[in-house]
Amino acid sequence: MIKVKVEKEKGYFKKISILGHAMYADYGKDIVCSAVSSIVTTTINGILSIDKNTITYLASSKGLTIKVLSNDRVTQLLLNNMLRLLKELELKYKENIEIK
Amino acid sequence: MEFLKLNIQLFAHKKGQSSTSNGRDSIGRRLGAKAADGEYITAGSIIYRQRGTKIFPGTNVKRGNDDTLYATVDGIVKFERKGRDKKQVSVYPVED
Repeated sequence: MIKVKVEKEKGYFKKISILGHAMYADYGKDIVCSAVSSIVTTTINGILSIDKNTITYLASSKGLTIKVLSNDRVTQLLLNNMLRLLKELELKYKENIEIK
Repeated sequence: MEFLKLNIQLFAHKKGQSSTSNGRDSIGRRLGAKAADGEYITAGSIIYRQRGTKIFPGTNVKRGNDDTLYATVDGIVKFERKGRDKKQVSVYPVED
């Protein structure tokens, strides 16, 4: 199961960890993992396209952690959008993704 | 910060190359018939190697302690039925 952990400070995103494996299907056929990967990658690259200094991320075999360095409106909105999409996924694939 | 490369299976579980503790087997024991039906054999010759009694000893045939069937006289090998669902093998001496 993918576990998404969100840390906020005064209502602003500070850190988002997306760890684990969806375990929906075998590697290469896991559509839940594919959706999560696409949503997260699009968001990260979108934010970096606008300003390379507002977030940092660390990708590993365990998953991915995003650190938010700036409270600017666009970054917060894009991260919020990412979270909303992940929550939609969670509704449909409860056994494969969990957001805390 | 570099752009994140799109890997749409980033959160998929990659089956590791798990090792298996299987992969061993004993050498084949070459069981089975060593003399054919109607073949002439000498006393002491092995007729059938087996585990348990797939085939039972018949006339002039004895069973060794590893269940091997062997002839006790010179003669012709005969595979026969034994009862409803069993088989036996016998050796019949040749009349001169």
